[in-house]
Amino acid sequence: MDTEYGAIEREIRIEAAPEVVFEVVSSPEHLKAWWPDEAEYAPIPGESGRIGFHQDGGRVAWEQFTVVDAEPPRMFAFRWTHAEGEDAAPGNSFLVTFELEPEGAGTVLRMTETGFRERGWSEAVVAQNYAEHVAGWDFFLSRLPAYAAKAAQ
Amino acid sequence: MSTLVDDDLWSAVGDPTRRRMIDLLLADGDGTATSLSERLPVTRQAVAKHLAVLDRVGLVHASTAGRERRYRVDDEQLARAVRQLNAVGSAWDSRMDRIKRIAESIQRTNDENTRRTDEKNE
Repeated sequence: MDTEYGAIEREIRIEAAPEVVFEVVSSPEHLKAWWPDEAEYAPIPGESGRIGFHQDGGRVAWEQFTVVDAEPPRMFAFRWTHAEGEDAAPGNSFLVTFELEPEGAGTVLRMTETGFRERGWSEAVVAQNYAEHVAGWDFFLSRLPAYAAKAAQ
Repeated sequence: MSTLVDDDLWSAVGDPTRRRMIDLLLADGDGTATSLSERLPVTRQAVAKHLAVLDRVGLVHASTAGRERRYRVDDEQLARAVRQLNAVGSAWDSRMDRIKRIAESIQRTNDENTRRTDEKNE
């Protein structure tokens, strides 16, 4: 399971030029069409802003959003979920990186989101044998249905 | 999906030692800080700290048996943690699909406009 490594990775082939895909993944107007309900930021490295998610009762849940890197049409990266007033950095936010690679007339878009393990990670010893952990996590996942069934009894 | 997952629950299962402990507790049914530390490359004190973290987010429950606290995994909370982990992944699946649809629709419009301009210029 990819979350074992503290990262979510996705890849998709898009029948559109990298320039077009770059606009879609980086501009606040387009971002709103595929993710948050509100987006207020300039797609320039170092610029900070926020993205908002509409909640019941008309409230908006805002999350901080900082552009880390923008290299049109190859790469766009941002950090989000750091506390307001804090600078985005490893340990206080999630890092989303989009990499765009031209392929024929289209684009291969790769997304990586990291920071899941770094957040709240203090007392833990990071450096351990990954293979062992993967086995453990898979073991734990594969046993879930049995435990869920047992819990339901 | 609004923002994310439960941060505390996430960081509790984000730690490989703690996941290994959950695996051992699931396999054995229950365990103590001593029994777990015998099977892990960490001290009993470290295991006790990890158990406290897991306890705080409800992933394990303790009962006092003799001199030591005996821990069991909370099946329901464990299932919730796994659902949240999966939810983050599937949220990205649908975002990527939306990115693809939007970009391809823009590309088609651009191509159409280019074609019309070319025809006009011919």
